[in-house]
Amino acid sequence: MTAFIIKRLILALFVGIAVSILSFGLVRMTGDVATAIAGEGARDEDIALVRETYGLDRPVIVQYFSWLGGLLKGDLGQSYFFKTDVAGLVFDKIQVTLTLGILSLLFALAISIPLGVVAALKPNSWIDRLALAIAVAGQALPNFFFALLLVMLFSITLRWLPASGTGSWKNYVMPTIALGYYVAPAFMRLIRAGMIETLSSDFIRTARAKGVSRPNVVIRHGLRNALVPVVALAVVQLGYLLGGSVVIETVFALDGLGYLAYQSITHKDLPVMQVVVLILSVLYVLLTLCADVLNAYLDPRLRASM
Amino acid sequence: MSGSASEEAVTAPVALRSLRHSWWQHKSLVFGGAVLAIIVLIAIFAPLLSPHDPYTQNLARRTVPPVWYARGDWSHPLGTDPLGRDYLARLLYGSRISLLIGGSVALLSGLIGTVLGVAAGYFGGRVDMVVTFLITVRLALPVILVALAAVAVLGGSLPLVILVLGLLKWDRFAVVMRSATQTVRNLEYVSAAKAGGATTARVIWREILPNVAPFLIVTATLEAASAILLEAALSFLGLGVQPPLPSWGLMISEAKAYMLFSFWLIAIPGACLAVLILSINLLGDGLRDAISPDRTNI
Amino acid sequence: MKHRLGVALLSAALLFGAAPAVTPALADKASNTIRFAYDQVPENIDPFFNNMRAGVIIAHHVWDTLVYRDPTTNEYKGQLAASWKQIDDKTIEFDLRRGVKFHDGTEFTADDVVFTLNFVSKPENKVTTQANVNWIDRAEKLDTYKVRLVTKETFPAAIEYLAGPVVIHPAKYYEKVGPRGMNEKPIGTGPFKVTSHVIGKSVVLERNADYFKDSPKPQPKVAKVDIRFIPDRQTQIAEVLSGGLDFIMNVPKDQAEQMANAPGFKTVAGETMRIAFLHFNSLPDGPVPAFRDVKVRQAINHAIDKDAIVKNLVGGGSRALTTPCFFSQFGCTDEGATKYPYDPAKARALLKEAGVSNLSFDFYVYRERSIAEALINYLQAAGIKANLRFMQYAAMRDQMRTNKAALGFQTWGSFSVNDVSASTPVYFGGSSDDISHDKEIQGLLKTGDSSVDPAVRKDAYKKALTLITERAYTVPLYSVPTYYVSSDALTFKAYPDELPRFWEMTWK
Repeated sequence: MTAFIIKRLILALFVGIAVSILSFGLVRMTGDVATAIAGEGARDEDIALVRETYGLDRPVIVQYFSWLGGLLKGDLGQSYFFKTDVAGLVFDKIQVTLTLGILSLLFALAISIPLGVVAALKPNSWIDRLALAIAVAGQALPNFFFALLLVMLFSITLRWLPASGTGSWKNYVMPTIALGYYVAPAFMRLIRAGMIETLSSDFIRTARAKGVSRPNVVIRHGLRNALVPVVALAVVQLGYLLGGSVVIETVFALDGLGYLAYQSITHKDLPVMQVVVLILSVLYVLLTLCADVLNAYLDPRLRASM
Repeated sequence: MSGSASEEAVTAPVALRSLRHSWWQHKSLVFGGAVLAIIVLIAIFAPLLSPHDPYTQNLARRTVPPVWYARGDWSHPLGTDPLGRDYLARLLYGSRISLLIGGSVALLSGLIGTVLGVAAGYFGGRVDMVVTFLITVRLALPVILVALAAVAVLGGSLPLVILVLGLLKWDRFAVVMRSATQTVRNLEYVSAAKAGGATTARVIWREILPNVAPFLIVTATLEAASAILLEAALSFLGLGVQPPLPSWGLMISEAKAYMLFSFWLIAIPGACLAVLILSINLLGDGLRDAISPDRTNI
Repeated sequence: MKHRLGVALLSAALLFGAAPAVTPALADKASNTIRFAYDQVPENIDPFFNNMRAGVIIAHHVWDTLVYRDPTTNEYKGQLAASWKQIDDKTIEFDLRRGVKFHDGTEFTADDVVFTLNFVSKPENKVTTQANVNWIDRAEKLDTYKVRLVTKETFPAAIEYLAGPVVIHPAKYYEKVGPRGMNEKPIGTGPFKVTSHVIGKSVVLERNADYFKDSPKPQPKVAKVDIRFIPDRQTQIAEVLSGGLDFIMNVPKDQAEQMANAPGFKTVAGETMRIAFLHFNSLPDGPVPAFRDVKVRQAINHAIDKDAIVKNLVGGGSRALTTPCFFSQFGCTDEGATKYPYDPAKARALLKEAGVSNLSFDFYVYRERSIAEALINYLQAAGIKANLRFMQYAAMRDQMRTNKAALGFQTWGSFSVNDVSASTPVYFGGSSDDISHDKEIQGLLKTGDSSVDPAVRKDAYKKALTLITERAYTVPLYSVPTYYVSSDALTFKAYPDELPRFWEMTWK
């Protein structure tokens, strides 16, 4: 187990380095950064000044290592645009995005577990098909479009929820639904399949033959077994939700990492851009690491083979 | 919006085994295929079907509503957009763009993913290690964010969007092809071909590829749908293909500003996009289930 | 299967039936607060360290300038300066107002003026828009309430700049905290003070109860202005409709008109100083050789129906332009300028005369995408193919300046400076944005910019504008209007300088 984790950690480290190079390289393709920073109305002098101030006249390799060196010392750099520490800018937003990610995940689980279980109990019944149809139809709707429909219904027509912002819990309701809805089908299929498999397995049949009541079988044995792969999937999906929150956060002007990333893209704010891509990537790497370990822990066969 | 690749690869077989025999899965293949075929036909024959040129503007007849509204009329069955262009014509021609994006991205990313996946699965060892590492790195990158940044920087055009998405979306191909190849590699006739002195290229070309092709097709189908949605998301944020191209994603984006008062402007391309994605997904799911049993246990 | 279809149909029905019933807004008049949103985030709310409209708006509320320009009469009045006089071509002397206090309670004196002007005029302090301050040579204190300002060269527009972007900071505080501290906790003398600033997200302004009574800006009526930065216009409109905002600006024409019909809301349209124009690269080594021929440029001028664009797409308060400047700017005139009425036949004839066929080029655009599409359509009708290249402003300007773009769709707001020196010379006066390099025009503009005699300036600008239009280096299009949408109960007025004035707004 320890060897496995160490191996995984080393892999994660290498992935982290690769990602840092990629995110650095990506934002370097942005053409003339100095012109972008100087903004509308800037003249040649202004642009030259910017180039010098931010060290944009140094070789790219030097710029990369000075950035990486800073990262390791906890200095995430200075935002070109806001002229403040990136660390301070990013810190609050991580909380918002994590909150949104976890809420969306819980929401997805809250709808997929009951639906998956019901679908599995009566495979190919109308309930099963309806559940699947909801999932299939829902996935076909672009999520920003779904989000806009939510705004029209809950903000404008009913006036129950604020259309944008970050202030209160109310701001999280629609983003959570819009984001969570899209990962629910994956869970539903997994739970349904897992349930069908365990319910048809020998030991469940034996248990029922012994007279264990049906709900008891479903909950104690079926669901518990079916949930094992769900746990690992949930961890990975959380990483996906964090990365995919850009569009939803932008639609709802929810002040998280994704929204910050979108804004920094439009501002050509490289240091922020790089750090957001890096944070999301590293979070993903850490979450998959957790998922692997959890998987190994939960699945006895895997545990034995290590 | 696709989940992570590894999850799909892990869960698909279990789900398949339980669903394989259900009659309606095949229906979904037929239905999805039929709708998609209709959309493809529409795209091919757009110039014949279209009542107007999709680019011709008429500033005097802007935002005319579709025929079922009181102010609508049959000269523009689906109305006109805010520049007075016929909405039906744009929609018909738009199907070409969406299909082109879906198809090209699936082709490009499929090519990259297949080469990497088959190489990893066939050769194993170091090659597999490198490819697995590349997949892990790729998965760690947030696709939308990276695509947004790349398009924002390089200027946004149809070829560029296809290129960027194609270079980003190969991961699932690689994952699926890798595990499919690993299984096929050990099958008897492949071993026999190898023992019979066939070259590596020949074994891969003649024995491996035909056997993993079904998985490639399924993955390509689902990835095409996901690419179309991604392009729509990029266009929605103003960073996808550029006007006056009538991409459905772009039409949604342009109509966004009008959604509160002229809802049909966003609802029509939105619904078309949803139907297209739905049909591709149904086809993909159906195909996945139709693949014969001995190949599904990968 | 049937069920799946059913669900699909149901979702479709929902799609088409979900158009909302709009109900009137519950304005935030009870708390006497105006909730306002802007689409761009200023990088720093110290007015010298951003170049965005939102920053300009905040600047005028939190800070004061030496001079105030009345937005209706364009007459200059004393604000922080009680009076001023021109000592010589390069020197102005200011008598400062007494009894003015900064938000932190310190008294405003000559030290503040001297420190601020000397600080911002030094290039090493990196003020974002150098053009706003680089004409200042130095400021000198004569006594506690008397200051002299020396310009580097003769600079007739000095008072205009001192009434606009050049605000006065508290010397001691600014010296201590610098632009960064000023961003985090801004302090000025203005009618509102900043009580909260969450970087990139929101700014809260509260009424300054001690605002000096003699200021030409009236005492504010509203208690609070809550400013949020929401980049998406659609989200802003949704917020207004759902009662989350009271006042927004820069609403696109079509939405503004629809909001005007929604009960409980009103739309006010105002012409602004911002001008829109097409700019040709006619340099000898430019990317499209055809643009060196004046006939081709004239053909494009004739191909575009400005009036139809203004009427159908731009709308309210906008006007078609003949010259590349705003009419209220000192020195701007149509007189003597060549006019190019819409005439596609003539456009084709001119192209034929020039021996040009199948003209095709990239058309660079950074805003007003739909208008750009309409322009492309007009060009197409004249047999010219323009390919839209839409990008961020900075990227486009880069292409224009590096001789890669042949035609750009530009807009220019002149920083609300009401003098031609802030508009036409930027694009024709020999700077890096000048892509025609016409020496004759450059000379005339230079004369206009640096002379002190108004008659000489006017004459020079008029000659320059005549030549610019005659040689068709540009297609002047229209003045860009701003649409404001607000709750019905809010009273406000629109001004050409795109500056909402919260100090005079009231709730009904």
